[in-house]
Amino acid sequence: MTLRVAIDTGGTFTDVVAIDDENGEQYVVKTPSTPSDPSVGLLNGVREIVEIAGRSGSDVGQLLHGSTTATNAVLEHKFDGLGLIVTKGFRHMIEIARQSVPDGYGNSFFWVKPPRLCPLHLVREAAARMDHNGEIIDELDEEGVVVAIDELVEQGVNCIGVCLLHSYANDAHEKRIGALIEERHPGVFYSLSSVVLPEYREYERAMTTLIDVLVKPYCKTYLQNAADEIRSEAGQIPFLIMQSNGGVVRHETAGGKPVTMLLSGPAAGVLGAIHMSRLAGFDDILTLDVGGTSTDISLVSKLTPQMTSYSMVEHYPVKTPMLDIVTVGTGGGSLAWVDDYGGLKVGPRSAGAVPGPICYSRGGTKPAVTDAAAVLGRLPDALVGGGLKLDIPSSQKAFDELGERFGMSAEEVAAGVFEIAAANMVHGIRQVSTTRGSDPGAYALVSFGGAGAMFATDVADFLGMKTVLSPPNPGNLSAYGLHVCDVKQDYIRTLVRQQSKADATEIEEQWRELEETGRAAVASEGVAPGDIELLRSADVRYVGEGHEVSVAIAAGKTGTHAIEFMWNDFHRVHDESFGFEYKGEQDVELVNLRVQAVGRASRPEVKKKLDTDAQASPSGTRNVFWRETGWIECPIYDRESLAIGQRVTGPTIVEEYGSTVVVPTSWSARADQYGNLILEKV
Amino acid sequence: MAGKNAKTTLGPIELEVITGTIRSAELEIEAAVERTSRSPMIRDQHDYRVALFDAKGRKLTGRSYSALVEPVFEYFDDGDIHPGDVFFWNDPYNSCGGIGHVPDLCTTVPIFHEERLIGFSQVFGHHDDVGGAVPGSLPVDARDMWAEGLVIPPIKLYDKGVLNEAAYKIVFRNSRLGEHLRGDVDAEIGAALLGSRRITAMAERYGIDALESAFDTILENCAATIRRELLPKIKNGTYTWEDFVECDGVERDKIHAFRLTMTKTDDKIFLDFSGTDPEAAGPINWPIDYADGKFIRKFMAPVLRSLADSPERAAEIDMNEGAIDVLEVKFPEKGTLVTPTFGKPTGMRFFLFLRVLGTFAGALAKATGGRMPADHETIRIWGMHGGRNQDEFYLFREVLGGGGPGRPWADGSDVVHIVPNSRNLPAEFSETRYPIRVEKLGLARDSAGAGYRRGGFGYNKQIRTLGDATLLSNADRSFINCYGVNGGKAGGLYGVTIEQPDGSEVEAPGMSDDRVVPAGGIVKLQTTGGGGWGDPLAREPELVCYDVLCGLVSPDAAQSDYGVVVAKDGNAFVVDEAATGALRTKLAAARGELNMFDRGPVVDDLRRKGEIDWPEGWQDPDEGWHAVDADGRSDAERAA
Repeated sequence: MTLRVAIDTGGTFTDVVAIDDENGEQYVVKTPSTPSDPSVGLLNGVREIVEIAGRSGSDVGQLLHGSTTATNAVLEHKFDGLGLIVTKGFRHMIEIARQSVPDGYGNSFFWVKPPRLCPLHLVREAAARMDHNGEIIDELDEEGVVVAIDELVEQGVNCIGVCLLHSYANDAHEKRIGALIEERHPGVFYSLSSVVLPEYREYERAMTTLIDVLVKPYCKTYLQNAADEIRSEAGQIPFLIMQSNGGVVRHETAGGKPVTMLLSGPAAGVLGAIHMSRLAGFDDILTLDVGGTSTDISLVSKLTPQMTSYSMVEHYPVKTPMLDIVTVGTGGGSLAWVDDYGGLKVGPRSAGAVPGPICYSRGGTKPAVTDAAAVLGRLPDALVGGGLKLDIPSSQKAFDELGERFGMSAEEVAAGVFEIAAANMVHGIRQVSTTRGSDPGAYALVSFGGAGAMFATDVADFLGMKTVLSPPNPGNLSAYGLHVCDVKQDYIRTLVRQQSKADATEIEEQWRELEETGRAAVASEGVAPGDIELLRSADVRYVGEGHEVSVAIAAGKTGTHAIEFMWNDFHRVHDESFGFEYKGEQDVELVNLRVQAVGRASRPEVKKKLDTDAQASPSGTRNVFWRETGWIECPIYDRESLAIGQRVTGPTIVEEYGSTVVVPTSWSARADQYGNLILEKV
Repeated sequence: MAGKNAKTTLGPIELEVITGTIRSAELEIEAAVERTSRSPMIRDQHDYRVALFDAKGRKLTGRSYSALVEPVFEYFDDGDIHPGDVFFWNDPYNSCGGIGHVPDLCTTVPIFHEERLIGFSQVFGHHDDVGGAVPGSLPVDARDMWAEGLVIPPIKLYDKGVLNEAAYKIVFRNSRLGEHLRGDVDAEIGAALLGSRRITAMAERYGIDALESAFDTILENCAATIRRELLPKIKNGTYTWEDFVECDGVERDKIHAFRLTMTKTDDKIFLDFSGTDPEAAGPINWPIDYADGKFIRKFMAPVLRSLADSPERAAEIDMNEGAIDVLEVKFPEKGTLVTPTFGKPTGMRFFLFLRVLGTFAGALAKATGGRMPADHETIRIWGMHGGRNQDEFYLFREVLGGGGPGRPWADGSDVVHIVPNSRNLPAEFSETRYPIRVEKLGLARDSAGAGYRRGGFGYNKQIRTLGDATLLSNADRSFINCYGVNGGKAGGLYGVTIEQPDGSEVEAPGMSDDRVVPAGGIVKLQTTGGGGWGDPLAREPELVCYDVLCGLVSPDAAQSDYGVVVAKDGNAFVVDEAATGALRTKLAAARGELNMFDRGPVVDDLRRKGEIDWPEGWQDPDEGWHAVDADGRSDAERAA
């Protein structure tokens, strides 16, 4: 008799979803976050949900946790006490960065380089040198390193990043420096680049290492606090942490390499969406997670999320395997405003949770996207099952005023705000689809987050998408997604080898080493040997290309089979991604070997709806404004009441607790047995 | 909801969506170029430009300056532009001023909606090699453009979707890195086509009328922004300024002046290039006197953005074709640096790029009470090539930035490149790919021009070659410094030295392509520091002290340039306040009135010796201009 509890900690609220393993019953709680020590909010959430479920702490069998707080720690510029040790001759490496100035031509005149994560006076050199094959050219000057470490600590440094040239090929010198830090200053946190990111390109590796060590004290501490409390109440249960690669690991593992949790915030939602899509029968999806201030977008092919390894946290590059998620600054709370030149803008300014949109009557005075929805008749008189009464006349007044500036009616402007918001989301979708070589028209759009289903068909129409999936309880899909995560650990090794000269034995040996490391690590997470899967892949390119493509090795292939497969399949993947290939004409180059070690988790059953013959009738009608046709009196349906397979045709609105599904003319919606609504273009 | 029934008038909604879509399409095209191109010059150094134009060839986007569409109109009849066409050229003398040197191959595709031409999508890139006398196609002693590579006048590489195979083969056969070039060109064509589909989708959604009205409005808004936010900050009047390219690679002892007379009125800026020196024998010419100077007007306009209220606002201002409504130009007679006669070499025209921008900024500094950024020299190409035969041949080439300019609101950024998103090559990448070892990747001490806000520091980069190699250096500013503004000092110089395996050192000229670096030798590069802004004696002593602590400014320079005396205190440095006060008083008295501009010792010396020849009607444009305070008063005026 156990309760699985998932806690999704955001900047403002902590969402908790618990599932009873016995009967599939779900419980949901929302509680304030406690950013200074997230363990407090986390434990509050656990206690509340246990109470709601009518259980005791000892019934909790598994705890899953995802968080955005590590990102916030970076964003809040908590950089104090950071030091860096680099190879002799490279002390200015992070000052120089990649010499690049962002965006427009001419910006170099006025653009100001943001402060470096670690100030130059806290960067020290270590005399030591490897070549790119890991051959030692100069041995490590240990005495010099000891002086450097002591000086840094003397100056108040308590987090040290170590990044030596070519350490991905040979980590001996970095390891030694780590040992010296531990030996001399056991309380000082440190991260080695060969552990954090054993991949070439020294600047990005150094920055990722610095960010890892920067968030280490914060993450390690709160995870340990939470773990100690949990142990005292629930005993030795798994406490698993979401990572940006879409997998979970034990909290000790996460705390040891916290950069892997840094961008995990939106990942769980994508996994939840994949889970519901699998049930609904869609393999290729685009996810649209519309929150209050922003929207997270990702592409999933064959139920496998698109991955990337490069992202920016504010001005700083972070390389770690992560779901390829693009965020655009438009959400339900985005404000509609007029710029200095009389142009109508939507977002990134936002009403936020406080004061919120005008119609929430919490002090908001500026029109938000939610107010536009109210004006257009897309929202009912009250939200969350009647708990939040909407002041629609005040929204109307604000849009009357906005409309006057453009000689338009309130509803015309409000519909235009939706058009602009949808277009902003479309630009984000282009970033994860066409710029990566995929046509969104071939995908189904999965909308979630509180406001997702209000925008989904508008966005789909822009992109020529024919299907939208709206899962049930869309506001909790992120927390729910934590329940369907596998244990995942990624391993990478840079090994630049050209096909014409490559030694297959060497490649196989390196791959096997990664596999063995991965197998051992996942087993230590408590996964049974039979549930462990090792997935090989490789980053490969034509000689001279700037970007590698990832070639996934078919399961079960090893040795020369795997290597032959890699060289051959590369051309196909390249053609698929870029539209051309040079098979037989140009030499191919391996750059990185990768292994993902996966421990399959048992997933909770989704409770099916009871089948009933009774087709639901509309619960009422409401006037709704559509940009193409104007006002139409539309039927309103209660989502819960729809029978399995029942199809309603637009224009109509389908309402549920906490969310509204908009079905325009030329779209229809049908309910499936898992509570999904499937919208189709007719 | 889409299609022919769509609204046909432009409202705020359509305008915002179309504007956003153009911006997003531009980013998509850029991503496609980077994703699929082959040469490091394009994908890592970002040396390519993307643009979308309307059917009249007016540029709708402002992220980069791009080329022009005019050659399509000039070389092809109205009826000879069809769906599936791909126009292609690199001819500096037959591209209406849009393409400045032969390695820039330009791809342009027309955009159609229902048989009607609605715009163009264009990508051009700086390619690794298009033939010519030396690898990299930038011979420093080229005497005509035919030595610089294969010259392609405007042609159709695809005609209604059919590839011109003969041209395709000839182009790639003429490159030392033909396969790279082919990959790049294919990538550029694919990317341009991708962008055209986004514009077509807008025509489908809102109708052609609304789309074309949106284009008009986007351009009008740019001109309105310049007039409302930027022009009021420039005092009406006429201002002259000049700057120099040091060396043309052929006649090595001659410096070349670019001259500008700027006249500012309430709603326009007139730029007259008369007085510019005659065309050069070597490859520093820049033919821009075509198509009413459209290219150079769009190229210069972004300099004005520095006058915005804040750097954040400056970044938001998009400089599209609307800018040419504000900027007018006048060219001198044929036969000058900017009006060269047909066939003169142009490979290193990027020196003039920077002189033109810097000269405009200098004239604006006079007209704004010194409120413009100082100078920065942030493009130069250096490299090495080697290998005993074609199979082993390699070309390791990098565009290295320099220190950014000091400006009223901040110190110059260290080692930046004027080309946005350009990236240097990681040492770990370079060492894996080429037979070299990076011995040092640092900032050059004391290279930043001193100032109240100092310039940024240049590179100190040292590379050992593991095999015999030949050095390439295409660099200016090796003896004429980046200027400082409003009392700021000039920045440090470019230099390249070869350390022989026996330890002896030989300096190479900025313009070199024949120096041999034997195996084990080290190439030592120092790049320019940015000019300083404002009086260095007014710089906060603790900032000077921090630069000393970091090793970026030497204690000697802290004293001589800033009048700051520091003392070592354990691992740190502290300011000796009393000594600093005394020294600053002494230095201020000794220097007399502070000049508006500092061009460094070489130009001062040339002036003293009377070795700068000003044309008729010209005099030293710096003379009589002094640094001013926030109220616009010079030292002398304040004293009075």
